[in-house]
Amino acid sequence: MRFIPNFIINRKAHDLVLLQAAWREWLTEDAPIIAYIFKVLLACLLAMWLSLRFELDQPRTAMMTVAIVMQFRSGMVFAKSYYRFLGTSVGILVSFLLVALFAQERVLFLVCMGLWIGLCTAGSMIFRNFQSYAFVLAGYTLCIVGLPSAITPELTFNIGVTRISEILIGLICATLVSDLIFPQRMWNVMLAAVRRRFKDFSDLLQTTATKPVASTTATPTLLRFLGDIFSLETFQASTGMENDKSRLHRQKLSRMNNEFMEVSTSFHAFEQLLRRQHNSTQPQVSEALQRVYQALSAAIMVEGRSAQTEQEALIVSRKLSAFRNQFSAKLHTERAQLSADISASERLDFETGCELLQRLTDELYVYTSTYASLAASQGSNISPTEAASAPKLEMHFDPLAVTLAGIRGTLSLAILSALWILTDWRSGVEAITLGVISSTLFATTPSPTRTIKNFMIGAIIGTLLAYFCNFHLLTQAHGFWMLAVAVAPCIIIAAWFTTRPATAIVGAGVFMVYLMHIGFNSAYNSNPVTFINDAIADLLAVLISGIMYGLIDLSSSRWSRQRIAKSLRNLVVAACRDPVALRRSRLETGARELVQRAGSAQRIGDKEDRIVMEWLLSTLEIGHAVIALREYMQVVEHPYISKMLSLGLESVAQLYDEPSEAYRIHAINTIDHAMAEINQANIEFNLPQANQHQITVMLHFIRSALLDEESVLAAGTQNKLEKH
Amino acid sequence: MPVEIALLDALVPSLLFAFIAAGVGSLILDWIFVRYEIYGYLWYPALFRLALFICLFAVLGLCIY
Repeated sequence: MRFIPNFIINRKAHDLVLLQAAWREWLTEDAPIIAYIFKVLLACLLAMWLSLRFELDQPRTAMMTVAIVMQFRSGMVFAKSYYRFLGTSVGILVSFLLVALFAQERVLFLVCMGLWIGLCTAGSMIFRNFQSYAFVLAGYTLCIVGLPSAITPELTFNIGVTRISEILIGLICATLVSDLIFPQRMWNVMLAAVRRRFKDFSDLLQTTATKPVASTTATPTLLRFLGDIFSLETFQASTGMENDKSRLHRQKLSRMNNEFMEVSTSFHAFEQLLRRQHNSTQPQVSEALQRVYQALSAAIMVEGRSAQTEQEALIVSRKLSAFRNQFSAKLHTERAQLSADISASERLDFETGCELLQRLTDELYVYTSTYASLAASQGSNISPTEAASAPKLEMHFDPLAVTLAGIRGTLSLAILSALWILTDWRSGVEAITLGVISSTLFATTPSPTRTIKNFMIGAIIGTLLAYFCNFHLLTQAHGFWMLAVAVAPCIIIAAWFTTRPATAIVGAGVFMVYLMHIGFNSAYNSNPVTFINDAIADLLAVLISGIMYGLIDLSSSRWSRQRIAKSLRNLVVAACRDPVALRRSRLETGARELVQRAGSAQRIGDKEDRIVMEWLLSTLEIGHAVIALREYMQVVEHPYISKMLSLGLESVAQLYDEPSEAYRIHAINTIDHAMAEINQANIEFNLPQANQHQITVMLHFIRSALLDEESVLAAGTQNKLEKH
Repeated sequence: MPVEIALLDALVPSLLFAFIAAGVGSLILDWIFVRYEIYGYLWYPALFRLALFICLFAVLGLCIY
């Protein structure tokens, strides 16, 4: 060692460091993908072996099941398996029923099938996540089991039992492999998502605190949060079978999601207010608000940066608590510093800002505390109320869209079965099956037309692979191991496609078509004529469902966007008019879910989608103010004042029901009038001071939001005016 | 125990019921283990779960045959 010059040792150490870094990067990025592909392959081969061993009719069904339910995270595999089993069972039972009733009459049979598939597709549009998948399955299992059974009714029971056994084998193999070999636990992903979201949100607060008006960056971030909320919800829903912490923290995560929605709405409202203030001539108010806000943003920093873990969040939550205690004192000093010469309306602006800031602080505190409590040891702090108080994310949907999706599924079935009956085509059943699968499975994706295009590419690749495998590799395979070797390469290729988000659907297409055509049951049986017939059937089926998605386009057409904007506005109308006050959480999830379902958040570059987003933000902003106002209103006993406020709410409802410049001006005037009356009443009837203050502040907030010329309300009404 | 049971006139292997019973049993145990954080003491919970299930299933299966 002594004879080696020093710099060589240094260089070696340097190389070692580089090597280690590369190794670590490989471990975190590439290794999981390779492990995943390996797991898919292993589970597929295991399923194939078991099905062959049990002499089941179609090992390909078991393999397909594996390919479909395999996911990166073990917990999601469990959840998807569970719902796949449920969906298939229901589908098989319904097939038995239909075959028993209408086996002799194929038209009646197909009509009932169409109805059932339509119903299931509609169901899949209503529910989220894997529940929606179970509905799709219950629908298309009817094609897979019901159609062959209707042709040979005496074998119905066998077909059904074989199908469910194969699926069970596939599910068991997939869950075993994904749980036992390199398991990827949900908890780590969820925790990472929660941490990143908190960090992003505090970063956002920081940036707005330093540069108030450069808030154009805020909208994309708020949009990403929208996606985060729903992906966390998906994660949360799939943890039921996990054996790590995620299952214990389910309630907490769901509550945190709700709290986060409230915080981000309040933040948006405050940010809008700051922006409006900034545009006004009098900088005093906005500067005072900015100072308080900066104090808040300082309180959420840990050592000059955003909190990254739950432990740091605990510190933040303590700091926030301290900040809350000093809050009113701080406001007092700021209020005193405002010079006497500013107008009453500007003073009111300041008060509104304070009120919003107060809300933001409170909600942020609650959110941070929940987040921080993840760090605290379990067991000790499960309070009995906790389980009860966690709200579930409710379902919100557009009935018309759901109906249309159902009709779309039924129509593709009708077209393909008409083709089958009229041409007496051998591969008609094949075409119907894949047509129904592809026209129902992608109904819930953000942009089905693009998805189906990818699926088509996958189907073509899968057909080529299957051809190659069937007529070049399988012919030379003898024994199980040779079979495995012959089948494996294509599985690996398809699995690799599914690992990349951009080509995930292509991978699904490859898997589906390749495994549908793979040329062996219990023994090799493939002939080129049937194969080519079936391949044509598949491609035709995908093409037809692609056309159906294009014709009944529920997410990216102009019409559907207008419908979403309308439904969003309806939420505000409901908040104003409903006799039972709309709950805050319902507004928050309802509005977000409508947008999420339509997939506008994913296509933010599009101008028309941006309008949807602006309506979303406007709905949240006004909606939350309206709900707060109605809360305060309950305390008001004076009938005249109540009536004034109701009139104000009614005018807002009118505006949101049918946005027009006239209604906007009318609403502003009514609110102005109500505010004047309340001021007057305060002198005459001695309203409770705090209550009156809160109501005035909220009215003022709504008024300034309506006055805002940059908001979508003003823009929307102007467009309309230009059209007339 | 008979090897096959007639369920609505369809002969079903009794082993299927053993399988379902073992599944339910291990789900219950699983719930208890999560609730009392027993999995924290185990090196490889997934493997333990599988082994537990196989033990239950084997015991029930031995009762049948």
